[in-house]
Order: sequence, then structure tokens, then C-alpha cells
Amino acid sequence: MDLLRSKNYRKKQPNGRIKKASADMPDKYAIPIEDIQHRRLSQTRVRERSKSKTKAFRIGIGLDMPFLILVLVLLVCGIIMMFSASYPVAYYSESNSYYYLIRQLIFATVGIGVMFFMSYLNYEYLKKLSLIILPLGILAMIVVLILPSATGTGVKRWIGVGSFNIQPSEIMKFAIIIFLAHWGAYQHKRVQTFKYGALPPLVIFGVTAVLLYLEPHYSGIVIIGILTALMVLLYGGKLRWFLIIGGVLVGVVLVLAVTDKLGYAMERMDGWGKALEYVDDSMWQDTWQTRNSLYAIGSGGLLGLGLGQSRQKYLYLPEPQNDFVFAIVCEELGLVGAIIILILFGLLVWRGFVIAMRAKDRFGTLLAAGLTAQVGIQVVLNIFVITDWLPNTGISLPFFSYGGSSLIMILMQMGIVLSVSRSANMNKA
Amino acid sequence: MSSSSKSKLMRRCMVIMLCILVLGFGTVAFRLSQLTIVEGETLQQAAVEQQLNDTTISARRGTIYDTNGKVLAQSATVWKVVLSPNSFESDADRTIVSKGLSEILGLDQESVYEKTKENSYYSVVKRQIESDTRDEILEFMDTIEEEHGISGVIDLLEDYKRYYPYNDFASAVIGFTGSEDQGLSGLEYEYDDELTGTPGRLVTAKGPYGVEMPFNYEQKVDAVDGNSLVLTIDETIQHIMEKYLEQGILENKVANRAVAIMMDVDTGAILGMAVEGGYDLNDPYTIADDQTRAQIDLLVGTEKQNAEYEAQSSQWRNKAVSDTYYPGSVFKVITAAMALEENTVNDESTFTCTGSYKPVENAGVIRCHNTSGHGTQTFAQAVCNSCNPAFMQIGAGIGKQNFWKYFQAFGFNTTTGIDLPGEASGLFFNSDGEMTDLDLAVASFGQGVSVTPIQMVAAISAVANGGELLQPYVVKQVLDADGNVVKSTDKMVKRQVVSEETCEKLSEILELNAKEGSAKNSYVAGYRVAGKTGTSEKLYDANDDGIDDYIASFCGFAPADDPEVCLLVYFDTPLGNNYYGSAVAAPVFSQIMSEVMPYLEVSTQYTDEEIAQMDTTANSYLALGVDEAKSKVESDGYTCIVKGDGDTVEAQIPAASTRIPQGGTVVLYTSLDEVSNTSVEVPDFSGYTLAEANSVAAAYNLNISVSGISGASEGVVLNQSVAAGETVAEGTVITLTFTTSANYGNNAVM
Repeated sequence: MDLLRSKNYRKKQPNGRIKKASADMPDKYAIPIEDIQHRRLSQTRVRERSKSKTKAFRIGIGLDMPFLILVLVLLVCGIIMMFSASYPVAYYSESNSYYYLIRQLIFATVGIGVMFFMSYLNYEYLKKLSLIILPLGILAMIVVLILPSATGTGVKRWIGVGSFNIQPSEIMKFAIIIFLAHWGAYQHKRVQTFKYGALPPLVIFGVTAVLLYLEPHYSGIVIIGILTALMVLLYGGKLRWFLIIGGVLVGVVLVLAVTDKLGYAMERMDGWGKALEYVDDSMWQDTWQTRNSLYAIGSGGLLGLGLGQSRQKYLYLPEPQNDFVFAIVCEELGLVGAIIILILFGLLVWRGFVIAMRAKDRFGTLLAAGLTAQVGIQVVLNIFVITDWLPNTGISLPFFSYGGSSLIMILMQMGIVLSVSRSANMNKA
Repeated sequence: MSSSSKSKLMRRCMVIMLCILVLGFGTVAFRLSQLTIVEGETLQQAAVEQQLNDTTISARRGTIYDTNGKVLAQSATVWKVVLSPNSFESDADRTIVSKGLSEILGLDQESVYEKTKENSYYSVVKRQIESDTRDEILEFMDTIEEEHGISGVIDLLEDYKRYYPYNDFASAVIGFTGSEDQGLSGLEYEYDDELTGTPGRLVTAKGPYGVEMPFNYEQKVDAVDGNSLVLTIDETIQHIMEKYLEQGILENKVANRAVAIMMDVDTGAILGMAVEGGYDLNDPYTIADDQTRAQIDLLVGTEKQNAEYEAQSSQWRNKAVSDTYYPGSVFKVITAAMALEENTVNDESTFTCTGSYKPVENAGVIRCHNTSGHGTQTFAQAVCNSCNPAFMQIGAGIGKQNFWKYFQAFGFNTTTGIDLPGEASGLFFNSDGEMTDLDLAVASFGQGVSVTPIQMVAAISAVANGGELLQPYVVKQVLDADGNVVKSTDKMVKRQVVSEETCEKLSEILELNAKEGSAKNSYVAGYRVAGKTGTSEKLYDANDDGIDDYIASFCGFAPADDPEVCLLVYFDTPLGNNYYGSAVAAPVFSQIMSEVMPYLEVSTQYTDEEIAQMDTTANSYLALGVDEAKSKVESDGYTCIVKGDGDTVEAQIPAASTRIPQGGTVVLYTSLDEVSNTSVEVPDFSGYTLAEANSVAAAYNLNISVSGISGASEGVVLNQSVAAGETVAEGTVITLTFTTSANYGNNAVM
């Protein structure tokens, strides 16, 4: 019966969608809503669905192919560009030009495995998992504070596991997204109220912010703050809460700034937007990375110097494989190349939201939207940093920046989005 | 879930997605466009600037040649040590490198460390290091790379260092350069722009830690080597001048250096400019004068430092152009020229000298050097006697206005414009030419007006060449790096000062003066010398002994009928037995001229008397039978002495083709062993008259050759070519230099 219905659906759906796209808004969602209602009904047949899950494993279909292709294309582009950006540094510091490439390829392979694995799992379990991951994330952030600094600079952001570094804030981002998605879906009738809608995320954010402040990792606070706000907005939070909370936050930051407690951030803020101005030696030194990033982007011009032809990567731009990889992309591929990559990211965001909107339940919608938004936000913030519009505070570019934990994490999250798409399609099937 | 809440969720998704895409990605795209398109060029330029390693290639400083192409100053390759401060990875590395370098280069570690902290890729630590130091640094670079892994921070680049092959030769003219290869004095300073050249640049792509960039970019702008100078100075003439000047300083205990300038009277080219004591151009900061150095070494602290600076600047000072002096009687030539030109004197004019003269009613009496008076003299006699009272009368005849006019015309009130730094101008009583009658009286015999030696030479040269005042110069050509002539200096006539007739007349008088008058010590046999002595009082007392100090000078030219060169010799403060120009400066003039004239291949014009005294060239009597040789020697007009019992002549002294005076002695040896057996000790000829010297020489079987004053009839021996006490073979020719009586006494010539 399902199959039969599905056939009808498939015939109808594309046509209907194309037609409806030009029509007015409410009508546009007519079919998906119907679909969701149908799925709501099917939710009661849990056992049957678990059967279909094994079937899905076997068949291996139902994934949103555009989204999957976009992820893979971005991953391939990212690895190529990361390799191009990193090989002089790798050669210089590791005596092996392929050092970062090989490691990133390993991470990517693991990540793709994790992604597919996640895509085949029913994301339902994340509801329960979120209740474990959230405390675990907080625990990890406490642990990182107790452990000695991994980089020796006094900054405690990473937990070293062998040669592998885990960033607890990465876990925390994920944990907050899934928890708030779950919370928003579970309490969707009460989240309109301040007590249910605003207080829990505020408490979680507050705790996280304090812990991140101690690391210190201010850009983490910013990203998590934005993500939290986004999730709250998605599940129906009121705009006025943000005005109030925003006001309080500004107050807190001001107090901290006045009492000079933002040492590290203030230092970074100092040179913010002034990378090209010479004020004094120490600031000139501090803004070295940002300045060379600007040089790289500017050098690219419209069409770039050509793939592999970056000059700034020859040790002028420190760690070009990490946060600043996009500067090398701009230098080598020019504005055109950069815009193409931005379009790829844009398409990914668009497709991710499409998946979210097509999800079979509220949790799926919130989950896919939150995880997709995280990618988009990180892209935007990362480019703001490399173009000196935000202080240089360590925001990586998804798929492009080197780093095992963040790459595997992002691919795992993409796997969850795919899982949401698969569940929707499975149900239709 | 209600349909409305669902659609609200969808709407929120939509809004957030659009926010991310439009606001987020939109701004990002805007920002990227702004950076790449609008600011792209500026940023790219800044990037290129830091990516390209800009190395300065030193330009080789031009060479300084003498007129015949002998090298007087040259730059040789050395190295400079350069740091690349931005290539350091840590302060620990900086400490290691600064410590090592400071030890090798003998620098302060802290200052080197500061250099390692600079924000650049190029910081010069030390220039002009020699190859042994360079080797040490190369070794140090290997060591730090092996032990600490530091590389790419030290660089050795080619550099140049100035070498002066003749050390203290012509030091006042050539000058020296500083550590940055910049000219600091003399021609090195004056022609610094020409000599310096343009440094080149080597631009290569370079990473911040000195790693090579794989993209090929190398642009080389070759250094343009500096231009070379060809001087008018002739190394041979300069050496002759310096030799005799130095000798003169020693003999007369000259306290305040001496100057000799020789100028080509037809072009203004300076053939030689000697300022003794000079300093070693290769070591300009060391005080060359042993006595001064010893005095300074006794001092301490700032006093020592100041004394050192003072001594340095005084030894660097080119006395020939930077110092003025009272020209004294040499200036009488100028006064005489004025009088002749203005026709205030003629052959019939007479001047009476009673030993003193009162030029102005209320002023004191000015005495003549001959206190008993010269009596009544003609104009020519007045010049030859160097009679002050006569010249005061001549001066009064010229008048103040004319005197000032000619003073200017001869170029005394301005610089000569010679291409040497620090030239001073002469000083008149008032810069507007105002003077009193007394001023005129003393000025007419060269007191009260200050001139520089170079002005004096230029003025006397004008008299010599027929009245043209020329601009003296020392650089005749500027050559580019390939040896092409870029610039050349030609004769520059400033003006016709006096007429040719005046000059001819004056030259005759001056020649007479050199032959018979007060300047006879300047006589050079065979060359018609004309000149004038000068002894002037200095305003201050150099050695504080309460006795006035003097400047003894002589300025003259030769040959008198067609002058080629003008030479000024000038000793500042001779403290020996004599301070008169005639006794101190004139013999040196003669010595220099007698060597320079043959060198310049000036044809000789001997008088009969001179021919009688002239040396001949010995013939060869070798391998002849003793008797045959003996008769041949006698028929050649020489006295013959035979040493040894052999039959044939094995050796002869003087050797064949060497000089032998007429009527001299030829010693023939029948075996070579006899030569050493018959050696004699050279007697001391000093103070002997010619006749006495001849008889002494005959007694020792030695030959004497005469140089110095005309005829040597009234002179005495001043010095001899072979020192007394030395052992020579019989027959050896010894040159004796004659001078008029050292005890000139009241007859002394001003």
C-alpha cells in the first residue's frame, strides 16, 4: 500500500511542486503538510518502521542525493584546497608535503564512513542521546580545563587523545543543537512560554559560556550563542526574549571589558579591523596572520593566481591549512572561484533546509535545520574572520579546514541530515 | 501538531535560511568582492613587496688614477654581514646568533641583538670584512645550523673596500672614505657622486623563513659601478715633491707642515700637490705625526678625545687650499706686475733704501731686512734685493684703488674654484677694498693680506703664462665603468689680468733674481728658472717661545722664456737655524725642479759657464790594454789612475755610460778584486766651497758632480748624494748640492 501511494506521490509531487512554487505561500506547503500528517499517523507503528529500517540498510536508497553530492563535492574541493594550502607548511614543518593531505584523507574516509553510518540510523535515538551528550559535552569542557594546556600556550581548548585532538566545544555545539531540537519538538506546545522556551537554553548557554570563557574560547561562545538563538527561533521563540537576553549579554560583556577580564579577546579585538595599519610592533605582529590573509585574498583578484600558485602559503600566512584556508582559495582561484564555493555552500544550506522542511517530524525539521545552519554560520563567520571583519578567534571552515575532529564531526552531522532526508523518503516509499 | 504551527515552523525555517543565504552569504560575497576587486591591487602590491627579497648589490666605487693611469685609490672586494631579522624563529636563536656574531666581528652583543629584532629582512651588521673574518662567519653559520638548526638568518654579501696603494701619498688631495664607502675628504668627498655609482638590486621570491619560493621570480638590476677619476696629478712629480718637502721639513724643523703645489701654467692643471705631513689614507684616523701622537697618548678622558679630534682634523686639512697665510715677499711679484701694468715704474725709476722706511707720517718705521740699506736701486734691482722700502714706494705709486683692483683681478678675494673641498678665500683688510696708507705699504710687500697657497700659484702662473688667470683643477677626466670619457676638464681662463709685455718683463727680472738675486738658491742648472722668495711673519706664535714665527716660501716657474710649470714651496714655521724663504724654501724648489724638469723633458739651455761644469758621460775602457786605456782616458780629458798589476782593464769606475764631471778621475782596475780593495770612505763635504770640495774629492780619488746654485762659485755644500762615512769604490761620482752661505745674516732676504 505504501509503495503504491508512493508512486502516486512521486508522479504528483514534482509537478505539484513546480506549479505551487509560483503560487502563494500557504498552498506551497499544502502537500508537505499532508505528507507530514500522514507520517504522524505512521509514527504509531514503531515496530513496522524498525523493520523498514533494516530494509533501508539493505536497499541503500532514500538519501537526498543533491545534498549528498553537495557534501561530497565540497569535501573534495575542501581537501584539494587544504592540500594546496598546506603543502609548503607541511614540507617545512613535517618534511613531508603530503602530511596534512594524508591525515585529512584518513579523517575524510572515517568521516564519510561515519556520515553514511549516521544516515542509515534512525535519528530518533538522538532524542535520548541528546540527554547523554549534553552532560557529556559539559563534562568534557570541565575536563579540558583540568587537563594541562595541550598547546602549551595556556589556552585550553583541546583534549589530546593520542595524536588526535578533540575540541569539547565541537561536541557542545552538536549537543546543544540536538538537545534543543529534541526540546523544541518535545515541548512544542509550551516553548512559546519563557519558562519552557527561553530558560533551559539560557541555562545551557550560560554554563557553556562560562566554561568557554575559562578556556578561553570566545568565538566558541559566539557560535554557540548564535546556534542556541537560532534553535530557539526555529522552535518558536519570541523575538523579545532575544532583546532582553541580548541586553543582558551586552551588559555582561561590558562589565567584563571594563574589569579587564577579557584579556585574550581584547588583545585580539585590539588589532581587529586594523590589520593593514601599522600602530606598533606588537600589534603588527599580532595582526600578521590576518594581514597576510588579506594580502592573499587581494592577490587573487578576479580569477586568482591559479590552482597551486598561491604565494602567501609559503609560510607568510601561518597555518594556511586551518582557519585561513579560504584565503588561499581566494588567492588561487580568485573571486570567481570563491563565489563558486560560496554557491556550493549556499546550495548545501538551501538543500539542508529543504530536507528540514520535508522532515517527517518536528524533531527532524529542527535537527536538520540546526545542523545545516551551523555549517552556513561557520562559513560566514570564518570568512568574516579571514577578511578582518571579525577578530581572529579560531572559527574553522567546514570541509576545508584541516582537522580530524571537526571534519569527522561535520560529516557526522551531515549524516544526520541525510538520515532525516532518508527517513522522510523512506516513509514515502 | 496543528497545521498552523507546522506552517509557522516552515516559515521560520524559510526565514532563517534566507537570513543565512542573503544576509550571511551576501555580505561575505560583498566583502570578498571588495577585497579582490577594489582593494585587490593595493593588497597584491603589499603582498608582492613582502614576498620579494630585495637585496642591495653594492656598486664598486670608481678608481682614482694619476695622469698616467697609475692607480691611486681602488676598491677591492670584501664582504658585508647581513641579518634577516624576520627569519628568526625565537629569541633564543637571536641570542645565539647575536652572541656569535658579536664575538667574531668584535661588536657589542646588545646592538647586534637589537638588529635581530628589527622588522625587516635586511639589516647590515658590519661592512667591509676581510676574507678571513668571512671564513669565520661561514664556519659559524655551519655550526649554528648543525647544533641549533638556525639557517637563513645570516647572509654574506659582496662589498667593496677602498685601498690606497701609496698609503700617505697625496693624502690631502685624494682623501679617504668612511665605513659606508662614502667620501669624507679630498677628491673622495668632492667627487663622491661620480665615484659612488648606483647600487643594484637583486629581487628574488623568498619565503619568510628564507625558504626558496617555487615560483620563479628573479629580477636583477645590475649595480652601475662608479665613475673613475683621472687626475692631473703625476705620481712621479708628486713623489719628487713629497720627497724633498719631507726632507725640507726635517732639515728645517718645520713645526706646522709644508706645502708644495706645481701647476701647469698653460692649462691650470695641478701636476702635484703635496701637503706634508699627511696621513696614511688606509688608516686615516691614526695620528700620523709621532710627536703629536705621543703627546695625545699622555692625555686622558675627554681631553684626549678632543686632542685626538683636533689632530685628526688638522692632519686631514688640505693646507694648500684651506689655509691662508701672509704671502710675504712672493707677493712682491704681484705688486711688481701691478706697477709694470700701470706704468708707474719704468727702467729709469729708482728707489732708495736706507735700511728702513716710514710709509706714513705718524706711523712707526718699517725696516728692511738689510738694515744697512740697499742704497739706490732700479726697479729690477729692487725686486732682486726684495727690498721692502722700495716696494712701499712702488705700492704708494700704484695707489689704493688700483691695488684693490689687481688684488681682485689676480683672484685673491675669491676662491680659485679648484675641484677640491674646503677651499678658503683670501682676505683683504676690508672686504670692500678699503685700506689705509699703512695697509697699502705693508700689503705691497705681502704682509697684511692673506692668500691661500693655491691662489698664489694661480696668480704667479698668470704672470708666467702671459697674464691669463686660470682656474686650477686636479681632475682632468671622469671615466665611466667601461673606461669611456664622461667628462673632461679643459683649460678655463678666468680673465686676462695683466698684459703679455708686463709678464715678459717681470719674467726676465725674476729669472735674473733666481740667477743672481735673492732667489739664487732656487737655481737649476740648464733650466731657466724664475722666481721669488718669501718670508712672512705669522700673526701668532706656534711654539710660544716669544719669538715670532715665520712662513718660508718660494714661488717660481721654469723655463723663464717659455714657462711650463709653476711651483710654490711653502714651509709653515721652520724652527731650525733659518727661517728665510731663500734658505729654507728655495733649495727645495731647486731640488724639485731639477728632478721634475728632466722628467717633463723640458729642453735644457746651458750657459757657457754651465757647459764648462757639465758632466760628461764616461766611455768604456774595458778589455783594453792598460797603456792604451790610460792614454785614451787622458785624451778624453780625465785624470787616470790605474789600480792593479794586470795588463788589461777589467773594471772601471765610473762605469761606462755613467756621469762623470769634466776633468774628473777615471779609475781603471786590472782585476775585479782590486775594486773592493781600493774602496774609500766618503768624506763629509758639507760647508765646503766648490774649490775646497774639488781638492778633497781629488785627495780621495772621488768625482764630484755639482748641483744647486748657479756656478756654485759662492755657495757651500748643503748636502751630498752619498752620506759621509760610507764606503765606495774610488772614482765614484758624488753629487753635491750647493747653497748660498747658510749664515746669510744681515744680508738675509725676505
